[in-house]
Amino acid sequence: MVERETTVGPEEGIHGRPAARFVQAAKGFSSQVIIVKGDREVNAKSVLKITGLARKGDKITIRAEGEDAEEAVETLSQLISADEH
Amino acid sequence: MKLTGIGASEGVAVGPAFVPATCTPEPERKQITQSEVESEVQRFRDATKAVAGRLSATGDRLRASGSEKEAGIFEFHVEMAEDPELASAVEERIRKLQSPEAAVLAVGEEYAAEFAAMDDEYMAARADDVRDVTGQISAQLMGRGASGFEALETPSVVLARSLAPSDTARIPGGMALGFVTAEGSRTSHVSIMARSMGIPAVVGVGPALERVLDAKKVALDGGEGSVITDPDQDTLARFERMSAALAEERAALEGYRHVEASTSEGRRIEVAANLGSASEAEDALEWGAEGVGLFRTEFLFMERDDLPSEDEQYEAYSAVARAFSEKPVIIRTLDVGGDKDLPGVDQGSEENPFLGWRGIRMSLDTPDLFKPQLRAILRAATHGNLKVMFPMVADVGELEAAKTMLQECSKELESEGEKIGEVETGVMIETPAAAVCAAELAKESAFFSIGTNDLVQYTLAADRGNERLRRFQNADHPAVLALIRHTCEAANEAGIPVGVCGEAAGEPEMIPKLIELGVTELSMGAPSIPRAKKIVSGL
Repeated sequence: MVERETTVGPEEGIHGRPAARFVQAAKGFSSQVIIVKGDREVNAKSVLKITGLARKGDKITIRAEGEDAEEAVETLSQLISADEH
Repeated sequence: MKLTGIGASEGVAVGPAFVPATCTPEPERKQITQSEVESEVQRFRDATKAVAGRLSATGDRLRASGSEKEAGIFEFHVEMAEDPELASAVEERIRKLQSPEAAVLAVGEEYAAEFAAMDDEYMAARADDVRDVTGQISAQLMGRGASGFEALETPSVVLARSLAPSDTARIPGGMALGFVTAEGSRTSHVSIMARSMGIPAVVGVGPALERVLDAKKVALDGGEGSVITDPDQDTLARFERMSAALAEERAALEGYRHVEASTSEGRRIEVAANLGSASEAEDALEWGAEGVGLFRTEFLFMERDDLPSEDEQYEAYSAVARAFSEKPVIIRTLDVGGDKDLPGVDQGSEENPFLGWRGIRMSLDTPDLFKPQLRAILRAATHGNLKVMFPMVADVGELEAAKTMLQECSKELESEGEKIGEVETGVMIETPAAAVCAAELAKESAFFSIGTNDLVQYTLAADRGNERLRRFQNADHPAVLALIRHTCEAANEAGIPVGVCGEAAGEPEMIPKLIELGVTELSMGAPSIPRAKKIVSGL
């Protein structure tokens, strides 16, 4: 299992196109990927689950388990912390 | 109120307005039985795939027309339609014997309520997005597409932002008196469809359309490109006179329907029809078609979640072959891409679908898709005079590869003991590359057919769906004419016929020019045939 804490970048938080792009990227990994925010854990490959989960500046943790977990966490935490997608 | 747009299909129409809308009726069936569970789960999966495919194609279309922001919304909607958590929640309900159409609405409502409750207007607005997508999946499951055209019960004038081929294809026969769209140009698919159906159309009226969506009655002149909403008595009388005058003009052309047109120099010009389905064959013959210059096969692949089987394609090609018997029928192999929507094939998302993986490019990469089509054509050729034409060819290597595949199919069919017919192969000249390389292509082709719509858009680097680039949607440009001339010269040199199957073939002012350039066949929407024959006869 690999995990990393990061800060949400997009101005409007996680929803709309940034959310879609994030989910598309997550689906590219075979690992199971979860976003942890406080006591909530959601499937990172579900746009419905991640929508509204966090706002700009919120701390979240990306956790992955599987063959490409390392790469998944690296790519996805960068993506979610960027200002724009 | 009067709107002005592009006259895309001649004729006048007056009738009640119909605005297609996404409407999701309440599912009648709430419960299923235990034995239906597996098939209903599958139906749900197929429906999400179909809806996601449609949404994705709409997004591509918007992106291609420069509406990047709107395209992003569709990207989000596609992800919602394909959401794994949505799927598992719905499937769990189906396993508890709820009907999938009710289950998907219920799960959608759960998410919508969650979003609506969020203390953030951006998030709250997402509730409508979820309802929209789950509503579409539910509608799909109930056998309704997203557009609600099924609700069209009285002959009406259809008003819409845009109309995809899949939309026009879904309108019940005789129910569309005319089309008015905010977007589009003369070469948009809605315009092509309208002309081939003989339905008046005005496209590209712009955002003003939004203001007249509540009109009760609409009058349109598809020649002039004008639309009048809720017309007064004087206007109605004027439209009646125009309608009568048009009928008179058509009557004057009656005598030309079945002539074999030749110029005064004795050059025989074949005038053929462009068809989208075998069901149009009879009408086309009545208009005087001497063959089919372009049989579009993509319509066979649309409006469904799976691919048409070889046998199903064989039936369709056989039907058109039989209808035209010894008259030539040119079948164009699958060309999807650009603004056509094809749920049965995953084309992925492309930045520039018109410049993307389409036509022969896709066919050569997907033998599983291409070979059944070629096999069906070879088998159907026993019933008539079929020819096969490859779209989007850019070099001779593609043509050779396609011909090799056709030969493989012949051999396979022969070894299976199937009867096959002789099939000539030709190239659709629609990329500037093909026109420039026409001499090389001619050596390997039995005929050429120039697809002017795409040739114009690629030569002039002007998207044919972009209304701001309207002035470029015209084959009468020196660069395009030079490519046509070059193609005709190469064809004449090689002794093969060269046709035009784009919109230019039916345009009165273009016909003399095309013939002068060396074109030997014209293929167009069937209602234009008598006029084209008259023009040719007068040259």
